[in-house]
Amino acid sequence: MDAHSESLLEQFRQRKPLLVELEAIVLQRLQEALNQQHIQVTAIDHRVKEERSLAGKLERKGSKYKSIDDITDLLGIRVITFYTDDVDKVAALVAQMFDIDWSNSVDKRKLHELDSFGYNSLHYICRLPEGAPAELCRIPFEIQMRTALQHVWSTLNHDTGYKSDVQIPREYVRQFGRLAGMLELVDNEFSRLRTSLADYRRRMQSLVASGQLEEVPLNADTWDNYLLTHPFDRLNNRIAAVNQAEVFPAPLQPFLPILISFGMQTLGDVQQMVDSQSDNAYLLALSRVGLTDIDIITESVGLMNLCIVHALQNGGGTPAVCRILDTVSGGAQPELQRTACDRSGANGALAESIVRHASSLPFMQR
Amino acid sequence: MNTTIKEQNGELVAFFEGRLDTAAAPQAEKDIQPLLASNGKNIVLDCNALEYISSSGLRLFLTVLKSAKAKGGHVFITGMNNDIRNVFSMTGFTNLFEFR
Repeated sequence: MDAHSESLLEQFRQRKPLLVELEAIVLQRLQEALNQQHIQVTAIDHRVKEERSLAGKLERKGSKYKSIDDITDLLGIRVITFYTDDVDKVAALVAQMFDIDWSNSVDKRKLHELDSFGYNSLHYICRLPEGAPAELCRIPFEIQMRTALQHVWSTLNHDTGYKSDVQIPREYVRQFGRLAGMLELVDNEFSRLRTSLADYRRRMQSLVASGQLEEVPLNADTWDNYLLTHPFDRLNNRIAAVNQAEVFPAPLQPFLPILISFGMQTLGDVQQMVDSQSDNAYLLALSRVGLTDIDIITESVGLMNLCIVHALQNGGGTPAVCRILDTVSGGAQPELQRTACDRSGANGALAESIVRHASSLPFMQR
Repeated sequence: MNTTIKEQNGELVAFFEGRLDTAAAPQAEKDIQPLLASNGKNIVLDCNALEYISSSGLRLFLTVLKSAKAKGGHVFITGMNNDIRNVFSMTGFTNLFEFR
């Protein structure tokens, strides 16, 4: 190593504590900003360059750098995102937070010929903006932004291609290029899928809001949206009025597998059950709660009674009621109990008692 | 009405015995304080010897549930007789708790 490079290396040693301080500040600011913008990333890698690595670089091309400030990657941060769109979002955020040296920043994604594929990443050379300690504002640092798939490709390509002492045959280089093209396609498909899903959610929300429920398929997403319209409040309040009861919030997601097991396919099917069976569900609830002085119920009471009435009217009998009880017992169970209802089990006797109650009600007489 | 609290296998177990009605609730509320003070441990409400539960008792169970959930703990109910199970079902409390 020549004297110039030795001098740069010495300057680096003296600067290292400042680089460590800068690293902590940049990292904290980045993490806070990403959280605020709700941008999920898979990782933020960061490092202050190792002396050994810098020495190697200076040996190879030390004369290229006039001063230590010309080496822009002494502090390196790498933000790895899930989606390719998020690379641009992170870049916009970084441009807002730091002073960018545009002449030295590079968007590797745009360097490829239209018909070639390879390293895709966005590299910004940054400095802290005014307001931070002056000795830190002077130091450039590099922020690289790429997707997880781009990261995998470039890591493998780097390890296999550049660190090897052996010349890589052309066919393998081409194979890496093909993989880069494929990963670019996969990245784009993931982004497209995310956008399509967001569109779908917005469309379903709008249909739910406008009451066009028969067009909305019944699934976990649409069920959550439907619940935001409080479709069971009227029935719950009616049941609560029997004993002037307080209504306590309760999760209604566990009922979704029950509704699906009834063969309901759209929110319109659910709404039809609410419209046609609320009076019967009220009568069933009344026959049970009305005989007590209990003055606290939960928001699941209305829907529970609706489900029981629906099951009984469709000939499900005690096993169907037992399965409903088994499914909703214990909070958020992911799916309907697939095993046959154990009528000798804890809920079997209760199901029989509910069916006995219901059998004397008008809707079961008809 | 008696309420006893024991630690078993790293969980806090509350044994309820008798009738948890409006008259018994104030004392039971004092007795369950260790459950509310617990630090995210799972809690078991053992109802094997519980004969009856009123609205006051349900509210007491809710208090335990809210406190445990806030600390990341779970509340399990075990040993309910048919009458109490019926009360839980008719009030919709069934899908608030986990059962063993």
